[in-house]
Amino acid sequence: MSDATVSEIALPRAPGKAGRYVYISGVVLLCAWVLIPLYLLLVNTLSSPETVNSFPKSFIPEFDLGSLEFFTGFSGMLVALKNSIIVAAITMVLSILIGAPAGYALSRFDFRGKELFRLLILLTRAFPLPLLALPLAVLFIRTGLDDTAFGLALVHTTLAIPFSVLITFSLFSGIPIELEEAAWTLGCNRVTAFQKVVLPLILPGITASAIFAFVISWNEVFAAAVLTIENRTLTAFLLQTLSESPLHLKFAGGFILVVPALIFIFAVRKYLFAMWGIANR
Amino acid sequence: MKLSAKLAGAVSGLSILLSAAAVSAETLFWSTQARPAEEAQAMRTDVLAGFGPGVDYQPNEEGPWLTRLKAEIEANSGSIGVLGSLHGVFSSLNADDLVDLDDLGVSSSSATFNNLAKLGTDNMQYVPWMQASYIMAANKEALQYLPEGADIDALTYDELIQWSANVHEAVGQPKFGFPAGPKGLKHRFFQGYLYPSYTNGVVRTFASDEAVTAWEKFKELWEHTNPASTNYNFLQEQLLSGDAWIVFDHTSRLAQAFNERPDDFVAFPAPAGPTGRGFMPVLAGVAIPKTAPNMDEAKELVKYLLQPETQIATLRATSFFPVVDVDLPDDLPPAVRAAGDAVAKMSGSSDANPGLLPAGLGSMGGDFNRVFVDTFERIVLAGQPIDRVLADQKKTLQKIMDETGAPCWAPDAPSEGACPVE
Repeated sequence: MSDATVSEIALPRAPGKAGRYVYISGVVLLCAWVLIPLYLLLVNTLSSPETVNSFPKSFIPEFDLGSLEFFTGFSGMLVALKNSIIVAAITMVLSILIGAPAGYALSRFDFRGKELFRLLILLTRAFPLPLLALPLAVLFIRTGLDDTAFGLALVHTTLAIPFSVLITFSLFSGIPIELEEAAWTLGCNRVTAFQKVVLPLILPGITASAIFAFVISWNEVFAAAVLTIENRTLTAFLLQTLSESPLHLKFAGGFILVVPALIFIFAVRKYLFAMWGIANR
Repeated sequence: MKLSAKLAGAVSGLSILLSAAAVSAETLFWSTQARPAEEAQAMRTDVLAGFGPGVDYQPNEEGPWLTRLKAEIEANSGSIGVLGSLHGVFSSLNADDLVDLDDLGVSSSSATFNNLAKLGTDNMQYVPWMQASYIMAANKEALQYLPEGADIDALTYDELIQWSANVHEAVGQPKFGFPAGPKGLKHRFFQGYLYPSYTNGVVRTFASDEAVTAWEKFKELWEHTNPASTNYNFLQEQLLSGDAWIVFDHTSRLAQAFNERPDDFVAFPAPAGPTGRGFMPVLAGVAIPKTAPNMDEAKELVKYLLQPETQIATLRATSFFPVVDVDLPDDLPPAVRAAGDAVAKMSGSSDANPGLLPAGLGSMGGDFNRVFVDTFERIVLAGQPIDRVLADQKKTLQKIMDETGAPCWAPDAPSEGACPVE
């Protein structure tokens, strides 16, 4: 009994030191988790085919640009990159334009079937794309949406909307309605109150759902491969040829696929961190 | 302000995109072959660049390839001009959706292939495009031990066994090499070579009396097979190291040996059994869907692909061999020359009995292969009685065929519904 009391008293002091070690090693581990694969990707991209295939691996890149040069001569790469960016951008805009109002409505208004709606919105992710792609492609060909960036973005938006609705829903729920009410009493109507008070507060959340939308669109292969031909996205264009390519081209192609997504996430990261600020408040 | 500016930008961006849906005049070549980046690039720059009106070469995985094709056929409006894929894939399509290609006047030099390309109808549904296969190769040292009167280009299984026995006796070591390693393609030997040569079937005849004979013969051959074969995956290594003198493998898995020491090895056709020279070609074809936007150009492209010069360019780009008679130029890599020669002799031989890659098995293709691997391991490695093993494995095989409903493929006689194990 007395032993137990002693250890209970001793406990709070121990985490002070050990806890810091755990914390630091956790941080290091998480960073390594993300950075080491990226670094290896970079090293192998900048290595000659012989080095890529040899073992043990070197951790220092030898700056052999052969693999990357192959892709500069690979017809259609730049067009595909442009298409990917366009499709991802439209997906971002559409999923926020549709998802954010839905999230707002879910958090501010009570209506019948609200819970059911929240559940149903997830159902759009329940059907695998290979199943949906055939009827979609038929419909797109008939309506003329086929092989357009906009058509593909519509499909990607459908995939991204559950995330943008649920993310914005929880964000709007975190902003007290009193803030809005105060704005109304000070001369704002619903729209201006939203614009001047709520929007700045949820901007980080919007950014987060934008990142989701971007990544979903960027990574999607099947619909892109079926629904586009001339306006192929980079992922559809590259991924299918990479799986059977020699190792050094796999690395270089993977690198090319990862870099634009990384640049984008770096560009918007400060908004993302701001969201966590809200969450910690 | 900020939001409205964003909106305006998005809207104007959309309108630009929608108006920019350009119509391309190039023929779209929708292919499941030559997918690796380097091969796709070579197809574009070396093979298809010579086609005047222009080709948009798009290699795809089978899933998107098929979905897109089905969608275009269902919508009755398409952008695909020419389809390129394997025989097994074409045979799963509805022949009515493909344009009859008899009037093109092009076909392969193999009557067998041309017949397969009819897909069971009276007309050519696709045109054979290119082929790969499995062949035999030998160290020239072994040639002196060939049985008397045996022609290396027309061997029988009995002669092969005798030859291997002669070598075994003379050198004191078993020198036949077989890809029985974990990554070896041994199952293809049984499915495409041993079974068709002895039973004129693969599935129907799996447990027949002829199959028992076939396995007995293979056990004889195994007596003279290097026992380390259970570790061999790419026989080029054993050819080069000298561990095996007479080997069977996929053309591309022998290439390195011929390229490094072209003067030391010969390639030759697979042996023949009582029911012909069983072999398994990997046959790719080109077809035109009925929805092709520019039918004339698509047909021109098919003709272009079958021209001897294009076929040679395709060989360089993809290592798949021509299906028409061509004079292979001297500057081809030695492996391509040797293997090409052997494949041509094999498919052109009078007793050719081609089997096809298993089709219609979907995700159970691996289980199908497993049946043959297990049978091999139990009969040959574990020495279990042949009848009993075949009776056991027959049940597994029948279950796979029933579950997938896969119809029989050559050389088995066609079936209504799932292929029966008799």
